[in-house]
Amino acid sequence: MDLAYRLEGVRHCYGNKTVLCIDEQAIELNRIVGIVGHNGSGKSTLLRLLALLEHPTRGKVHYFAESKEPMFEIALLPQEPYLLRRSVFSNVSYGLEIRGCGKNEIRQRVYDALSWVGLDPEGFACRRWYALSGGEAQRVALAARLVLRPRVLLLDEPTTSVDAESGRKIREAILKARNEWGTTVIVSSHDRQWLFDVCDTIIHLFRGRVVGSGVENIVFGPWRKLEGDLWIKIFPDGQKFLCPGVPGCNAVGLIDPSDMHMFPEATGSKYKRRACCIHGTVSGLSMVRSTGDIIATVYAGGEPFSAKVSGCVEQFTPGRRVILLAYPDKIRWMS
Amino acid sequence: MSNKRILAFFVAILSIFFGNVSATLSGNNILRMATTTSTDNTGLLDFLAPEFKEDAGIELQWVAVGTGKALELGKNCDVDVLLVHAPSAEKKYVAKGYGVDRTEIMYNDFVIIGPKDDPARIKGKSPVEALKIIAEKKALFVSRGDNSGTHKKELSLWKEAGLTNIDKAEWYIQTGQGMIATINVAAERGGYTLTDRGTYIKYEYSMKGNPPLVVLVEGDKRLYNLYSVIAVSPTRCPEARYEFAKRFIRWISSPRVQRKIGDYEILGKRLFVPLKAR
Amino acid sequence: MNYILEGLRQAVMLLVKWDPETYAAIRATLTVTSYSMCASLLLGIPAGFALGYFDFRGKRVLRTMVDTCLAFPTVLIGLLVYAFLSRRGPLGSLNLLFSLSAIAIGQTILALPIIMSLTATAVESLDRRLRLTLLSLGARGHKLLFTTLWEARHALLIAAITAYGRVLTEVGISMMVGGNIKWHTRTITTAIALETGKGNFGLGIALGIVLMLIALIVNLSVMSLRKKS
Repeated sequence: MDLAYRLEGVRHCYGNKTVLCIDEQAIELNRIVGIVGHNGSGKSTLLRLLALLEHPTRGKVHYFAESKEPMFEIALLPQEPYLLRRSVFSNVSYGLEIRGCGKNEIRQRVYDALSWVGLDPEGFACRRWYALSGGEAQRVALAARLVLRPRVLLLDEPTTSVDAESGRKIREAILKARNEWGTTVIVSSHDRQWLFDVCDTIIHLFRGRVVGSGVENIVFGPWRKLEGDLWIKIFPDGQKFLCPGVPGCNAVGLIDPSDMHMFPEATGSKYKRRACCIHGTVSGLSMVRSTGDIIATVYAGGEPFSAKVSGCVEQFTPGRRVILLAYPDKIRWMS
Repeated sequence: MSNKRILAFFVAILSIFFGNVSATLSGNNILRMATTTSTDNTGLLDFLAPEFKEDAGIELQWVAVGTGKALELGKNCDVDVLLVHAPSAEKKYVAKGYGVDRTEIMYNDFVIIGPKDDPARIKGKSPVEALKIIAEKKALFVSRGDNSGTHKKELSLWKEAGLTNIDKAEWYIQTGQGMIATINVAAERGGYTLTDRGTYIKYEYSMKGNPPLVVLVEGDKRLYNLYSVIAVSPTRCPEARYEFAKRFIRWISSPRVQRKIGDYEILGKRLFVPLKAR
Repeated sequence: MNYILEGLRQAVMLLVKWDPETYAAIRATLTVTSYSMCASLLLGIPAGFALGYFDFRGKRVLRTMVDTCLAFPTVLIGLLVYAFLSRRGPLGSLNLLFSLSAIAIGQTILALPIIMSLTATAVESLDRRLRLTLLSLGARGHKLLFTTLWEARHALLIAAITAYGRVLTEVGISMMVGGNIKWHTRTITTAIALETGKGNFGLGIALGIVLMLIALIVNLSVMSLRKKS
């Protein structure tokens, strides 16, 4: 498989703070790659580096360009896109004008792009920038990138603060871009379910590091030592999470979804008071496109967890109360 | 807008700018004069400049400023000839080598004006006596205070009257402005002031013949306002158009032009007495 | 009150009767302000853009200096330009003193800090996402500059109008380096100063009204420009 990017020993700092630290990472062509992580995990920074808009403080981001103008092959949709103070048409055509396209071609492509994102070209082309809703503005911004037919499309949190309809249209447009022009799409989101739905592979970023290629669960500190080797973490809703072998107060644990066991609350009473156990509610089920696994997203202790569903799916439909159980020896610790 | 069009726009603007610069540079038949505001206000130069152009083919352009600044412009070689009326300053100026060919061409006179009812009773007195009375009675006196020819004349009169420390006296106010502005201040405050006759004639006319201030002291030799022309020194300022300046001085001293100056009237009143009419 | 009515009447007469001196002064004023505005916009907008857009060492000091220059008295500018353009000065050989170009140079110095400061403020107050958006669409170099300025176009128009108002009404520079030479460098403002000095208050007010008319026409045309975009 051909590569679009290879990152080597990348360290990126703002001031004294290292925000990104990736030793080795390859991104294949014609893939839809998701980047998942908490706020401040370095998602936006990584996308800016991939867009070649910033250079890493140390290390290299290799982009394997097709033409002599690598900048023109990559299009980034920033987290909060900004519309130029002109008509929708001019906003979408801006990038094409820079690339020196002819007038007729521009018109055709702008109209196509608007319809891909589900906006009626006739009705929207002449609208002013201020006469759009949040979701429409986001879709216009996406159209302004799709119209360039980029080789690599980078999307930073495209579904934040948009309505469900816009979220669906954006997903369709991403798939269309990959299927029709073989665009490599790299999309960040904190909406795990949406990402599972769209992406072929997922990069999990945590505090600037790649912590897995799936959707690991993260258990933060602070930890308090109880007795011997037993530590306790208290979740925001008051639930107590007991765990042996925690390396320190601020240690962070990673639990693979397949190591996260899930039981209906009714049947799992025997697990009560056990270590590494927490109660929660299923909020959604999704299929990971790459593996075919079904993953349940569970809100427990006020935080989202993912757990692989094994056995009967009906037990874990959204809204069900469940118990999540992890084995202490399967937890990877980071500090 | 395409890049080419923007570029063309810039080029057009720059060419206009430099076109104007070169047009200024090419204006060669120009004689530049520095003169005083009061001279300019009489309109005499508006009357003489077309005549000079016709006779000599040289365009006279003048800058009207205070006497001090006029002399400074000459020192810096920024003008070619001066027409001023401050004899003692002029003599010093020539003695220092800044100017040559100083020629006295005409005079008009200053007058002391004041309120119609003349509270200090100075009417008909000599100028020095009049100033002494004003100081004694602490009557309001309004001075130009701008180092102009008129101001210098006023200071020399105060000196002659033996009054030197009047600067801070509360009856003595300085406007630092032009003659008309000073006359207006004097009229508003009911004070006395020294003015050249030309400005007063215009002031009298603008008041429709019924001015609040009237002439109280006039006709004394000390009140003569002597005008001379001075060429800027060609040795100090090789760039100055000395040839033109010399021609102008010869022209303005010629009997024919001198008679014209003598006949020049504003508002039906003659203003200047030429010195070389014969 | 008398003067004002008289001034109004005379203003109409001057314009209607096509008074040559008045029109010469209007021409001089329009010519010289056009030069100075073009020069100060050409220099000031890129400089103001750089000042507002880039971060560099000494930026705040420079910004403070530019903002201080907003208070530059016109008489002082006139004096400085005179010192340079005088035949005894460093640029005396150009022979520019007492010409419209000299006034234009002085007025450019007057308008430049206004344009720079207001452009810098306009660029600074643009949305910080704009830069990333333009870069992400592939804009570089002059394209980036022009689009950024175009986004700030309304604020730039205000900057230009403010500077034009100052340039149009200044009298210190025109008097000092222009010399108020009749038919040549006599602008409306120096003519007002002269007529006032001569005691022709009515004529002074009339010329002032003419000046305000010019300002009105310029502002109206700029406003119509603003509506279109």
